[in-house]
Amino acid sequence: MTINFQVGDTLPPLKHTATPFQLFRYSAVTWNPHRIHFDEPYAREEGHAGVALHSHLRAALALRCVTEGLDDEWRVAKVTYRLRKPVYAPADLAYTARVTAAEGDTMTLELFEQHSSGDVGFEGTAWVSKTPGATP
Amino acid sequence: MSFTPEPGTPLEAYYVQTQPRIGAVLARRSLGTLDAVTIGRYAMTIGVTDRSHYDPAAARSAGYGDVVAPPNMLAAIVEWGVGTPEAQLQPDGTPHDGDMPLGDGGLGLRVMGAGEEMELVNPVTAGTEVLLETTLEAVTPKQTRSGPCVFVTTLNTFSSAEGAVLNRNRRTVVLRNPLQESS
Repeated sequence: MTINFQVGDTLPPLKHTATPFQLFRYSAVTWNPHRIHFDEPYAREEGHAGVALHSHLRAALALRCVTEGLDDEWRVAKVTYRLRKPVYAPADLAYTARVTAAEGDTMTLELFEQHSSGDVGFEGTAWVSKTPGATP
Repeated sequence: MSFTPEPGTPLEAYYVQTQPRIGAVLARRSLGTLDAVTIGRYAMTIGVTDRSHYDPAAARSAGYGDVVAPPNMLAAIVEWGVGTPEAQLQPDGTPHDGDMPLGDGGLGLRVMGAGEEMELVNPVTAGTEVLLETTLEAVTPKQTRSGPCVFVTTLNTFSSAEGAVLNRNRRTVVLRNPLQESS
């Protein structure tokens, strides 16, 4: 069933608890040896409040909100994002995507990552299309 | 108003070393052939359940030649192949000769991701040999609420061995002085 989206529509939020265990696995699978993501004493030496979420993990979670909230026919064509605040695990996060433009087979959505404090830590924009051949 | 890092600080040394390289191609190399296990592990770690990331038959029925990578997987992988021996990593764990110029480890700079712009041009499937070209696009010093910083942007173009662009990814990281020199 095809769902037609309109400007102002919001996709179901993705609620996620990021844990130090997930950060360890994300460091492992991306072969990322940066210690701020898995070595808490080191991360604190650098002035962090704990192990820091990877920027790409946060982007991947924001994109899950998009890909899981749309039909299979939609593909992500482009995404931009800016990190406003770091996140330290464990953290309860909510990702939202709101339609800001919809025309034919393309849509633009604004993305937000909200922390349990209410702060927005990440904001971005995703462009999606029904053009076959892009990444789901 | 233009800003330059305070003379004599590690950030200033980094800026002086790196700013003249703007426009340089930092790397042009083969990253190897992407395999289905790596794609499945990445999907598992970020919590994606779509079968097209795990099951070749599901991927084929969705129109792909093999299991397909989640959108930002290529951009997220830091080291390809076997990686850097531990003794050769910088004190913060980052590889000295990675695709992003992070400066000499002796500078002790602190680094974090700041943002990204990513065009997903073609799907990335298992069995694809991936090539990467990295160009240094910008080195921008700024004074922020948390102190002096340098923002560094690279353009990373991931292509297949056949020449098809897969991702075009403009990535920015922020570098800060060591904690004792950051105020």
